Amino acid sequence: MTKIGLPKALFYYQHSAVWEGFFRNLGCEVIVSGDTNKEILDRGVRCCSNDTCLPVKVFHGHVDILKGNVDYVFIPRYTCLINREYTCPKFCGLPEMTYLNLDKQVRLLEISLNVETGHMEAAKGLKTVSKSLDLDYRAAEEAFQNALRELEQGYKKCENSFGEPVAKERDRKRQTLAVLGHPYMIYDKYLSMKLLEKLRSRNISIVTPADLEYQTKRRHAVPYQEKVFWEVGLDNLGSAFVFAGSENIDGIIYLTPFACGVDSFVIEFIERRLKSDYTVPFLKLTVDEHTGEAGFDTRLEAFLDMIG
Amino acid sequence: MKITFPHMGNLFIPLKVLFDILEIDYAVPSLSRCKFEEGIAHSPEFACLPFKITLGDLLDGIEQGADHILYGGGCGQCRFGYYADLHEAILKSAGYDVTMIRLDSSNMTFQELMGKLKPFTEGKSKARLVRGILSAVNTVLMADRLSKTAAWIRCREQQKGDTDKVMRRFNQRIIKAKGYKEIKQLIHSARKQLRSIPVDLEFKPLKVAIVGEIYTSIDPFVNMEMESKLGSLGVEVHNHLTISSWVIDHGIKKVLPLKLKNKAHERGKELFDTDDIGGHGLQTVGNAILSAQKGFDGVIHTYPFTCLPEIVAQCSFGEIQDQYGIPIMTLIIDELTGKAGYETRIEAFVDMLERRRQLELQKTMREAF
Ligand code: SF4
Ligand code: SF4
Repeated sequence: MTKIGLPKALFYYQHSAVWEGFFRNLGCEVIVSGDTNKEILDRGVRCCSNDTCLPVKVFHGHVDILKGNVDYVFIPRYTCLINREYTCPKFCGLPEMTYLNLDKQVRLLEISLNVETGHMEAAKGLKTVSKSLDLDYRAAEEAFQNALRELEQGYKKCENSFGEPVAKERDRKRQTLAVLGHPYMIYDKYLSMKLLEKLRSRNISIVTPADLEYQTKRRHAVPYQEKVFWEVGLDNLGSAFVFAGSENIDGIIYLTPFACGVDSFVIEFIERRLKSDYTVPFLKLTVDEHTGEAGFDTRLEAFLDMIG
Repeated sequence: MKITFPHMGNLFIPLKVLFDILEIDYAVPSLSRCKFEEGIAHSPEFACLPFKITLGDLLDGIEQGADHILYGGGCGQCRFGYYADLHEAILKSAGYDVTMIRLDSSNMTFQELMGKLKPFTEGKSKARLVRGILSAVNTVLMADRLSKTAAWIRCREQQKGDTDKVMRRFNQRIIKAKGYKEIKQLIHSARKQLRSIPVDLEFKPLKVAIVGEIYTSIDPFVNMEMESKLGSLGVEVHNHLTISSWVIDHGIKKVLPLKLKNKAHERGKELFDTDDIGGHGLQTVGNAILSAQKGFDGVIHTYPFTCLPEIVAQCSFGEIQDQYGIPIMTLIIDELTGKAGYETRIEAFVDMLERRRQLELQKTMREAF
């Protein structure tokens, strides 16, 4: 059985099921790299230029760990999954970026996703996939169409069905905090310094952008409602204002990696508007490869003390 | 109504021509960037450098009395597209009341474009408008040609510093000049002065191409006068990104119903199998390859710290160096970059290119005799 490696980083945190399903359908064994750890981070740091954002460095580490144990590593090329919403430029060049940064010592499979051209560019990647796996092109094409449907449905439904308005009734005994950020930051235990676990252990309940409906987030994404923007930017921007407007949220934490170009803008929009139009406490936590857990915890605790 | 705009290389020269012909009042931010520090102080820490510098430009223009801001733009898939909104939000919370006029050539039809410009064109004859645009386009071409001439002369001048002297004087005057006629006159006379500089025609300069993010590549303030520095070291500099090519790519090609391709962009696909990696990323890759093929001695790649597309582009340079045998040096710039260390790196790179050329020469000689 052909072994396909899925790096547990970046897109994995939103679309793992889709791609695992895709390759299993095609009769492959899927191997996921383990949770991020120090070794993975160090490997990633070694092969990327210094000012690369932390999650992309970590992604490189995962690919580097996987490459010896699998036949191919799969890296989708996300350009645009929803009309007029774009991914970060780094996602468009991710397959080559990884390939070149790892000195071409890795065999990749790649599929391009761009809804604005009707996923036309995907054909080339699918041909390579079908050839490498020794399959009929039509089988690959069909599995791909399935994957697309799932991706689309994923956007329509909200996973935790938290819905609007946020939390029907206020749980008086428990605090509720909103945690914003890229899914590959907040759900990666290593990169997030176990932020979610730490909050839960204090009996704080947590909401994230995944708890809100797609349309709700888009409607609140001031000033980019109906406008072209980054997809993840719209998620965080919209969520920030939905949460800020809800009585049931006691505070908002935005977890951002060092050198993220997208967040640098999104957070600025959020902070400005929160200051002028809302009262909810806001904490920005920046993580880089040198961030110590102690300092991180101190900042978090100070914030939690403040909101009482 | 008074208008100001963010600087981008010598774009202010054609804009002056346009505004003068249309009789629009305007303020040009200083070339010495007197509001540089303020721009940085008002910007988010991790915004890219062009964002911070252009914010300083706007503050400068506003202080000179501007109440309208003209934004050209549309630079592929990158932060640039969102500059205007964030600048607006920042200016507003800093208490400035300004109107933004955004021209986003990648998402606008010609009609929409003219609609946005209405406050300026109202009551002005079509003929004047056309004359304004044509004169501005002609000025872009002249200004870029002047920079090219300067680059050619600078590395060959017998008395070091002659070229820079002419160009410095030119910049001081042009910023105050009024009207197409005077501006044209100034460009002509600067060209003439350049041509009268005594040069060493025997001298064979090293040829270096500058590629990368447009702002850092063409703005002498941002790249700490990289072109003059290289020129003074006897290097002939070729800057592939120019305002004229930018205007053609982002203005003319978008408005005309033609699907013209940018050669460098297409060439970049040799290493990236996709249509866009944001900004000018693919052009950077393509220009590096083309420079190698045109026989340049080296390539300098420059971009602002954390620039998304250029970080991606940079990954390909190891491969390009191997495949095409051309040395490439990357210079990342931010507001903290020290001039001394920066210049040392440029000098070391030029030294290395020179040694490399000597070795090649010796090898050819050995093989020939
Ligand atoms: S969105 Fe930010 S963190 Fe994600 S890849 Fe882009 S720059 Fe990196
Ligand atoms: S291309 Fe680079 S400098 Fe320009 S907006 Fe994008 S990140 Fe900023």
